[in-house]
Amino acid sequence: MSGNPKAGMKLCISCGMPMEKPEDYPSGDRSKDYCVHCARPDGSLQSYEERAAGMAAFIVRTQGLDEEAALSTAKAMMSRLPAWKGRT
Amino acid sequence: MSDQSKTTARNRESQKLETRRRIIDAAIRVFSRDGILASATAEVAKEAGLSHGSVFAHFGTQESLISAVIEDFGESLARRLHELVASGAGTREVLGAHLRAIGEREDFYASLVVEAPLLPAGARDSLVAIQSSICFHLSPAVAAETRARKIRPMPLYLLFNTWIGLVHHYLANRALFAPGASVVERRGEELLDHFMYLISKGGRG
Repeated sequence: MSGNPKAGMKLCISCGMPMEKPEDYPSGDRSKDYCVHCARPDGSLQSYEERAAGMAAFIVRTQGLDEEAALSTAKAMMSRLPAWKGRT
Repeated sequence: MSDQSKTTARNRESQKLETRRRIIDAAIRVFSRDGILASATAEVAKEAGLSHGSVFAHFGTQESLISAVIEDFGESLARRLHELVASGAGTREVLGAHLRAIGEREDFYASLVVEAPLLPAGARDSLVAIQSSICFHLSPAVAAETRARKIRPMPLYLLFNTWIGLVHHYLANRALFAPGASVVERRGEELLDHFMYLISKGGRG
């Protein structure tokens, strides 16, 4: 078992999602380091607060966590990712 | 900095990462065998073929080693799941891939499920992160099959938590459900059949 990504597989710097297909990137732009889900409609990276709120909403919808608990978990998850390292 | 000292610094950094990797891989083996909290860092050092001091140089406390190992494990499980799920996969395929990814790491995952409430908060966050990566694939599959009236409409979190409750119960009690064997291998298909039956409209999925 290895934590190293498969050769050529890029991980989104903002949420950690593996990005393989053109549709994983904002407007299919493979030069971006973040995925389509972390981008604003204009293709720029969402702010820390926007991303945390989006991730928390996903956790509430899919796992049913309490909203506050989901937000603090989302921020803890984000603090490990390159785009948000050290933020809380 | 001269070119030579830059190269030396780079080598030192890559050696550091390599040792860190070696410690994490050793810890995964030891934790899978002996449980997470019951494992001594000295045992991890022995498994990695390193001195106890070297493990502490990389991970100052047992807690930081445990958090790093669980985080690494969560990432590798999420990545494997992503590899196993074909794009456009249905609900049954996604859940089947979930079981397969767990099955490949069953000893460690079962320890994580059993010990999670006692582990550092970071471990709990890692479990939520693992579940999020499954839900990422599950969500569109369930939505499409609900629209096609194959799955009964229900909140996604209840559907997902019912699945997790079932799978985690079998993993936590695997000594009863599959003594000395892989519970995923032995009972996984039955659980999958039953779950699809529960959520499907009009009979077996």
